[in-house]
Amino acid sequence: MNSRLWLAAFFVPLGLIIAAVPQNTTHPFKLTAAEMLGEVSTRTQFITPETVADMIVKNDPSLQLIDVRSQDEFEKFSLPGAINIPVSELLSDQYAEFLDQEVKMNVFYANSTVAANEAWMITRQLGYTNNYVLEGGLNYWFEAILNPKEPSAASSDEEFARYDFRRSAGQALGTGVTAVQPAEGSKMSSKPPIQAKPKKKKAAGGC
Amino acid sequence: MQESINKDRKTKYLNPYLGGVLLGLVLLAANFVSGRGLGASGAIKSGVVSIVTAVNPEAVEKSGFIREYQGAHAGSPMKSWLVFEMLGVLVGGFLSGALAGRLKFKVEHSPKITSKKRLMLALLGGILFGFGSQLGRGCTSGSALSGMAVLSLGGFVTMMAIFGTAFALAYFFRKNWI
Amino acid sequence: MGPLAVNEIISENTNLLLAFIIGIGFGFVLESSGFSSSRKLAGVFYGYDTVVLKVFFTGAITAMLGLLFFSLFGWVDLNLVYVNPTYLTSAITGGIIMGAGFIIGGYCPGTSFCGASIGKIDALVFIVGLFIGVAIFGAGFTLWDNHYLADFLGSPKVSESLGLTDGVFALILIVVALGMFWAAEWAEKKFAREEY
Repeated sequence: MNSRLWLAAFFVPLGLIIAAVPQNTTHPFKLTAAEMLGEVSTRTQFITPETVADMIVKNDPSLQLIDVRSQDEFEKFSLPGAINIPVSELLSDQYAEFLDQEVKMNVFYANSTVAANEAWMITRQLGYTNNYVLEGGLNYWFEAILNPKEPSAASSDEEFARYDFRRSAGQALGTGVTAVQPAEGSKMSSKPPIQAKPKKKKAAGGC
Repeated sequence: MQESINKDRKTKYLNPYLGGVLLGLVLLAANFVSGRGLGASGAIKSGVVSIVTAVNPEAVEKSGFIREYQGAHAGSPMKSWLVFEMLGVLVGGFLSGALAGRLKFKVEHSPKITSKKRLMLALLGGILFGFGSQLGRGCTSGSALSGMAVLSLGGFVTMMAIFGTAFALAYFFRKNWI
Repeated sequence: MGPLAVNEIISENTNLLLAFIIGIGFGFVLESSGFSSSRKLAGVFYGYDTVVLKVFFTGAITAMLGLLFFSLFGWVDLNLVYVNPTYLTSAITGGIIMGAGFIIGGYCPGTSFCGASIGKIDALVFIVGLFIGVAIFGAGFTLWDNHYLADFLGSPKVSESLGLTDGVFALILIVVALGMFWAAEWAEKKFAREEY
């Protein structure tokens, strides 16, 4: 009789506590605020327009452009191959498989970097990798790729190379895909590698 | 304080509630360390698969059962969590029995039946249980106990089926026990 | 953060070693509680010895509460813990056959190993029977594989199916278990038998 009373005295209160407390649904792969701050400071989420242009022109299948502006703006102008996920709809189920994956490199873009960065922060907070932000947004894209400024005679070789690349890319993108020769000695910023999501396989159990 | 007449005078066992708490802690440890509960019948399955693949390799291709097993368990069938666990059970049981002075070769049976009958019943019971554990994807340890701890619906259903059936059939087999 | 093996905090080999050690704990506790005796195990069905009920349910609620509290403290990720899948038809039929095996043989696989470890020959014979039973299942697999795979419901939790949270269900189970323990003590006094 004694044992049962002890048992009851121990288990019932614990049971009441666990019944009352809301269920804990933290996932270990979500980022903490400190981790976010660290990533934001290093600005690794940015991708230059040159890199993106290069990938578009070469028809790189691992690129997925995501336009985070409203549907109207998307329909007026969008980059080749882009899909439209407005920031307000970023968390809806239908887009989850685009955002949380390890096959393609998603590049968020908007008119400037503000909205795209918002999208990146939200998805990064959920622990998703392989999402990036187009540096400078469409505003810079137009300026850099479609209307590149000719460097002055005193500029470095690298600047000339970049200008040549941008011009050919702009032509290719504007008038259809033609072969773009990367200028000799040009160093395109290398594509960031697509990160595989660490796979957590559940243990097999039973029997 | 009331004492039940059936208090074990000869053999000292742990207070069952204490035993239960300890069992729960072992189960908790298993889940925390390995992400799975305890089990037993799966080790038998590993044993059967090993024996069959050793003795009759051609049977392996024809057997859907073995292929299903190999699909879920890469590598040697004996190198499985359950096999190691059951080896531990043997050691643990032995240690406990040794400490309590319960080590003895004997056939445990009711005075109303013979040893031989008990052994035949044990064999029959084992065959039924072995078969049933495959259908039920687990036995009382793996499906019922561990399943309940993680709130699995299948675990509860199997548990109720096992105990329900045993209770229902108890009357017909009472002569073997009491 | 647990489970350790799934989060790769420990290696696969360490996992197997720990399985062995956990098994030692399992076997020790079972044998100490009397699960090495087929007579004690069968006792719950006749009322004279309800050790199975007490140990089983106390173990289940301890582990259940333990997991829920661990999850609350962030020590284990319950999404990574194995939840037994539910194949409704075979769960029931398998359980029925096992129930018959239990009342006839007086053991279940885990306890039979316990019994065998202290020298019980009937436990040993039971284990031989287990091998035969599994082999029969495997040999005739094509005869019942449809039955075996029928009614797959995924891995639902009981709490989900009843529309309760895990915590509320745990509380209910604790209360039910305690009720059963009181009934068990009553039964033992009423149906007592001599030990042999």
